[in-house]
Amino acid sequence: MEAAADEEQEGLSAQSPAQAPPSSASSLPKEQSQVELELRLLQALEFYPPSKLKGIHRHFILYGLMEYLRKSLDRQFSADEVLQLLDRFFNLEMLKPDDDEKENFGQTEEFALPDSFFKKEE
Amino acid sequence: MGGSSNTTTSGGGGGGKDRDKGKGASVSFAEGEKVLAYHGPLLYEAKVQKTENREDEWRYFVHYLGWNKNWDEWVASDRLLKLTEENVRKQLELKNQSGDKTVRTGGRSAQHNPKASNADAKVDKEDTKGLVKGKKRKNQLGVEEKERRSSESLLMSQFPVTLKKQLVDDWEFVTQLGKLVKLPRSPTVDEILTKYLEHRVKKDNKISDSCAEVTKGLRCYFDKALPAMLLYKKEQKQYKEEIKGDISPSAVYGAEHLLRLFVKLPELLSSVNMEEDALNKLQQKLLDILKFLQKNQVHFFLSAYDGDSKGADGAKGK
Repeated sequence: MEAAADEEQEGLSAQSPAQAPPSSASSLPKEQSQVELELRLLQALEFYPPSKLKGIHRHFILYGLMEYLRKSLDRQFSADEVLQLLDRFFNLEMLKPDDDEKENFGQTEEFALPDSFFKKEE
Repeated sequence: MGGSSNTTTSGGGGGGKDRDKGKGASVSFAEGEKVLAYHGPLLYEAKVQKTENREDEWRYFVHYLGWNKNWDEWVASDRLLKLTEENVRKQLELKNQSGDKTVRTGGRSAQHNPKASNADAKVDKEDTKGLVKGKKRKNQLGVEEKERRSSESLLMSQFPVTLKKQLVDDWEFVTQLGKLVKLPRSPTVDEILTKYLEHRVKKDNKISDSCAEVTKGLRCYFDKALPAMLLYKKEQKQYKEEIKGDISPSAVYGAEHLLRLFVKLPELLSSVNMEEDALNKLQQKLLDILKFLQKNQVHFFLSAYDGDSKGADGAKGK
């Protein structure tokens, strides 16, 4: 028993020597290995490229990442946890929202209500 | 039906949104008279139920024939046309025009607007459901397009009816009557989103991280989208007057403009390119926010706009 526990701890520290695990990891001792966690994150990045964190879609990208991890690892992830995880691979400073991204919505257009809204329903 | 009573406005274009307000002023309609009434860009058969003279202007309470009584409303004479052959032709013309548009623009309007005629609108709901997976012309659609469509149909097909009506009234106040929402609004968009989170916490007994992220995302979209795509032309001057320096639109505008964002969401979210599962969950959350707006409709929305978009300083008179 003891030996097994030791091994697990060793494994954990070997994978991320300098970093403390995300705050919630300690409350969930049965968490899959960190490798699995990081693997899932990298998979999720295929859908949600971190570069988009800079733009207007930032929060929905984070939402997507949270959902992806929740689904694959079967526990809740907060936005902060996701960002901490990302910090292992990226320079978060570079992924901060950038207000200068003006071309976000292209040129200005007048609001128009779709025709379907003018239709009446029974 | 007396064809002689055709005093209406045959001169000049005047369909839909461009029609001139004043020109029908001399025409009057009687109680019980069958008429054609503009609702949005199209003409519908309607019946005048009541008439009333308010401040020297005749108002007519109309029922749209074949439609639920919920749509009954008071309108001014510029929304009505005599039921004449000529005007029926005009009605058909408008209907065909909107039909053409549907075909031309293909993608979007064909999706949630599969029927151009009001007679077919009853089939609408079922049809939209069927289209969720984009069964039509599937092979021509890219992945992104398909996702955009499904995102649209879920949010759009379940858009609460009273909020749709709110948006039509909003359109009418601003574009037809030249009225503006007086700013700043209370509650503001920020306050509404905060209230929503509080409401969620009360219901779920915990703070949901994903809900919080969604409201943050909405606020961010709102601030950026407001000047870019949520204003009618007549509101742009007011925007420039009210939003100066680093004031966020979400701290000034209210539910009226927030609701317009929801109409644009399918389009905006399509560039996030979310997986289907996550997108569906997200839409459920967005619908939940819409329902919250609907529940508080009386408190959050103005029932009448009184700012004037024409007067030089109209928007400022607080």
